[in-house]
Amino acid sequence: MRITSPHAHGPMSTPRVMLNVLLATVPGIVVMTHFFGFGTLVNILWGGLVAVACEALALKLRGRPLGFYLKDYSALVTATLLCIALPPYSPWWLIAVGIASAILLAKHLYGGLGYNPFNPAMAGYVILLISFPVQMTAWAPPRGVGELPGLLEALQACFTPAAFDGVTMATPLDVMKQNNSLLVKDLWQQNPQFGRWAGVGWEWANLAFLAGGAWLLYKRIFTWHAPVAMLAALTLMAALFNDGGSSASGGSPLFHLLSGATMFGAFFIVTDPVTSAVSVRGRLVYGAMIGALVYIIRVRGNYPDAVAFAVLIMNFAAPFIDYYTQPRTYGHQRSGGGE
Amino acid sequence: MRKIYGFHGGIHPPENKHQSLRSPIADAGIPPELVIPLSQHIGAPSRAVVAVGDRVLKGQMIAEPSGFVSVPVHAPTSGTIAAVEDRQIAHPSGHAAPCIVIASDGRDQWIEHGGKADYTSLDKAELLERIRNAGIAGMGGAGFPAAVKLSVKPDIKIETLIINGTECEPYITADDVLMRERAGEIIEGTNILRHIVQPHETLIGIEDNKPEALAAMRAAAEGSDIDIVEFPTKYPSGGEKQLIEILTGKQVPSGGLPADVGVICQNVGSAVAIRDAVVDGRPLISRITTVTGEGVAQPQNFEVLLGTSMHYLLDKAGYSAEKNRRLIMGGPMMGFTVPSPDVPIVKTTNCLLAPAESELPTPPPAQACIRCGMCAEACPVTLLPQQMFWFAQGKEFEKLELHNLFDCIECGACSWVCPSNIPLVQYYRASKAEILQLRRDTEKSEHSRIRFEARQERLAKEEAEKEAKRAARKKAAEERAQQAATAGGDEDPIQAAIERAKAKKAAQQAGGGEVSELEKLEKAVATTRKRLETATGKLETAKAEGSDLVEALQTGVDKTKAKLEAAEKALHDYQQANSGEQAKPAAPTDAAQAAIEKAMAARAADASLSPEDKARGQLEKLRQRLEKSRTKLAESRENGDEEKIIEALEATVERLSQKVAEAEKQLQETEGA
Amino acid sequence: MADVSYRELSFNGLWKNNPAIVQLLGLCPLLAVTGSVVNAIGLGVATIMVLVCSNTSVSLIRNIVSDAVRLPAFVMIIAAAVTCIELLMQAFAYEMYQILGIFLPLITTNCVILGRADGFAAKHGLGPSIYDGFIMGVGFTAILVLLGGLRELSGTGALFANMDLLFGPGAANWEMVVIADYQPFLLAILPPGAFIFTGLIIAVKNLIDDRIKKRQDALKEKPVKGSKRVRVTGTIS
Repeated sequence: MRITSPHAHGPMSTPRVMLNVLLATVPGIVVMTHFFGFGTLVNILWGGLVAVACEALALKLRGRPLGFYLKDYSALVTATLLCIALPPYSPWWLIAVGIASAILLAKHLYGGLGYNPFNPAMAGYVILLISFPVQMTAWAPPRGVGELPGLLEALQACFTPAAFDGVTMATPLDVMKQNNSLLVKDLWQQNPQFGRWAGVGWEWANLAFLAGGAWLLYKRIFTWHAPVAMLAALTLMAALFNDGGSSASGGSPLFHLLSGATMFGAFFIVTDPVTSAVSVRGRLVYGAMIGALVYIIRVRGNYPDAVAFAVLIMNFAAPFIDYYTQPRTYGHQRSGGGE
Repeated sequence: MRKIYGFHGGIHPPENKHQSLRSPIADAGIPPELVIPLSQHIGAPSRAVVAVGDRVLKGQMIAEPSGFVSVPVHAPTSGTIAAVEDRQIAHPSGHAAPCIVIASDGRDQWIEHGGKADYTSLDKAELLERIRNAGIAGMGGAGFPAAVKLSVKPDIKIETLIINGTECEPYITADDVLMRERAGEIIEGTNILRHIVQPHETLIGIEDNKPEALAAMRAAAEGSDIDIVEFPTKYPSGGEKQLIEILTGKQVPSGGLPADVGVICQNVGSAVAIRDAVVDGRPLISRITTVTGEGVAQPQNFEVLLGTSMHYLLDKAGYSAEKNRRLIMGGPMMGFTVPSPDVPIVKTTNCLLAPAESELPTPPPAQACIRCGMCAEACPVTLLPQQMFWFAQGKEFEKLELHNLFDCIECGACSWVCPSNIPLVQYYRASKAEILQLRRDTEKSEHSRIRFEARQERLAKEEAEKEAKRAARKKAAEERAQQAATAGGDEDPIQAAIERAKAKKAAQQAGGGEVSELEKLEKAVATTRKRLETATGKLETAKAEGSDLVEALQTGVDKTKAKLEAAEKALHDYQQANSGEQAKPAAPTDAAQAAIEKAMAARAADASLSPEDKARGQLEKLRQRLEKSRTKLAESRENGDEEKIIEALEATVERLSQKVAEAEKQLQETEGA
Repeated sequence: MADVSYRELSFNGLWKNNPAIVQLLGLCPLLAVTGSVVNAIGLGVATIMVLVCSNTSVSLIRNIVSDAVRLPAFVMIIAAAVTCIELLMQAFAYEMYQILGIFLPLITTNCVILGRADGFAAKHGLGPSIYDGFIMGVGFTAILVLLGGLRELSGTGALFANMDLLFGPGAANWEMVVIADYQPFLLAILPPGAFIFTGLIIAVKNLIDDRIKKRQDALKEKPVKGSKRVRVTGTIS
């Protein structure tokens, strides 16, 4: 075969993109491990194993070369992201079901990497959340608030869940959601897990994910548009509806920014290129809509955190957004693709 | 300081320019053989005006332009024309194209030429004519004829003249060294261009990675109105549209020309060539070519005669074929792989890149598109390459056009950044070709539809005309018969007899219209044969192209063949039946009738003869008739016939001798042919 | 018209033209009530009965009804049959009747029934029509039960729970706990689970068909081997 231009190629490659994303999750994982114990780490190790097995199985069933496709690390990225989102000390079967749903149903049934309309990690998360609401809302208390299990106990929690007697505690988002009698100020005083701004551990984990995201931005793995739009929209919504701390308050902008999966979602989920809008304008719209939805679902919906639902809903809308946000090509008058 | 605008996207590939900048421009010398393709530019190929064996001088025109968008070609050195034939040329498809081959005599003898140093005394048209006659076609790589670019419609005012010294492709330094070493000539050429275009402002755009060239150009432009503009290095700033946006902030409308926004852009190489053509009268016969890559020992720039084989030039730079896996004409971003190193250097060859495998490795197999959008970020024309890739894979051509596929300049930035190694540009190129093919096909079918309808109409018209003619003929024959019956004495008696006979025959045939039947059959055979020929021709080409239409065409040909056979059989049957009729004693009513029948039989026999034989036979017959007429005349005279009869006979003899003379002449011509 | 082979009818109803996974008819009850085996059997049996009744009646009157009023007449017949079945269920399996709820009267609009009435019974004699209705119903029920089983098993870890609703008190202990300490997998019992499992069943059916076709093709090709006129398609290894 004769090779046509361009003959040169840049340094970027898909495995490198994936590895960079994996690397960028490290600070967040470290912080989570510090505050919630080894649960998240065990999740990721077991989840990664299941993910590679599922990926290999799917590739084999589809008659694709195993080595070539396994080397793109996309299964590991999906597993890591899903396992970070899962509560620490989840039982092994929960993780396995989640990963299998993500890799087999959400990814390979649609044609594999690049063809999946929904973010696999979030699809897996939502399937678990719907199916096993009890396990999925059982978060461990953070360091300083409750007792932290050790590594051995973490392994036990995962592989012999029946023998593990973990303590769980409502997350700040839960408490905020279920509160309808106390002022926000009192909430902070009565619940030890609220911490300084948005929850013990949560605030630092969010900041760590923010740092990881900033590093990815610096490495030009993705553009700033979608995450910034999401954070801005969330802040705006929280600011607009922040009533200064009554018992019906949805929480301050700072609380929303640093609680739950905000930063993790903004930099690791919303930026998933496969399932997001493609143009700059499209990504701004896509991110902003997710931000707004996160606030609405957190405050008015049935579930305490909302990143997964918001992302999946906007995954639906991505092609639609693309249709209306086609950029103006050089030498053309300004006009959208569909107009 | 001038405001620098930016353009969307762009990339920063490793420049790799220093390798070929270590030494000044070297002269590549005169190779023993020069192969000069007739099409080195965009537009119609030139027409050769020399024949094999002709001796040509350096600078002599050896091929003339064959249209407005076309340029002449000149002999790069003196020598003899060794061949005018198809040779392999530097083209991505590796096909052969008409070339003129010159065996150089080494004397490098110039044809008489002269320029005009005081070009300001020449008017615009004359300058353009000189540029056109010098065969200058875009030296930047695309090869658009310079004169065409400069011939702007008079109602368009050119605001800005841009001289492109950007050279954004990695590895290439041809324009860089040109600016370093021949800055004065560039400025002079620019001034000629200014004289032609009369722009409001003149800008020379140079990327900031060429400080030496910038300094040299600034020094040369000192004191003039020419603005040397330095701007940050980014690929592909050297693209005409991108450079215009960088320097003026304007965008050339899609499908339009720079002149539409009041800009004309020329390459620095073209500026020098224009200066040489106008001031020295020297046509474009050489250019600066960068030879670089790890495959050559001494990468450097050469002044090389057009038509020099790449192999010759590479050897000058110390080429080692083992190190080099593919030879690229142009840069690593937009250049193409050359089919063989024996192809010639042409007007657009700005670089020969002979990279080692480690330098430009063969791309690994493409992975799945993860829609990361890096391509969209890099695209200098703000396309959505990932979406277009999607549509190209699905062959959704309408969507591709909606996503402005045809605005893609194929710069390769998207492929360069693609983390999944997808050969995006290749997809776009293929899709463009397919869309163009589809458009041609629709056009063709539309065309044939129109043609078919026109033919139907024509046939109907012809039929009607024939009908009218037939009626007229019948009427005329009747009238003439009447006339002959009433006023026979007034006419030439022979003529009258013939007329009579004709009228009778016409009367006989009036019912059947057999002649037209025969005609019809003959015509059917002829048209079917013709159709068979075209069908066979189409089938041949289809077979040659390996088209999947072969089978359909084959059945078409078979059908036509069968039809032809049927038509021939019908004709044959008819003729046989007819000749049988004719063979029967026709019961001639008078001698004239018999004579006419004989004549008709003779004509039928004639039809099978060659034109030459026919002419000869005709002549013979005419001579006989002349002889007969003469004897008749002599007899009449002897008999002392009426004056009138003698006169008539004399006239007949006269006419016949004229006819004989004509026939003789015709025969000579036929034989001569 | 009389030359319909019962063998072919059976094959059509159970496999080749299965109403649920090939014709994809009657998806509404299929997806809605297959949370457990007992529900599936309940609705399946009701559907079989309605199908047989309607096919019988339609076949009987097929020569009397004019084309113009054909469909309304069929719908009336089906509605009548459904009402009978509904009343019967109310009488003999009241709990089941309550569980199936709206989906029982909705059998009227089940496309399988009208489809068979118009597509088969209106053109065939009594015997084939009754058999067609029965076998199509069985094919539909088989898929309902399979789907119900899969969903019940993956959703609760047990099978055949609450069979007493349908088969009387004696069936109360039919429940089999397949996996002890099973965490209920809600998704399987919720509507999305029905979609996912139906998709998987269709996929498996297509896979089996593909395999069979390949094997048949391989058998067909064998005798031609060695012949000069063999037509080679695909790759030659």
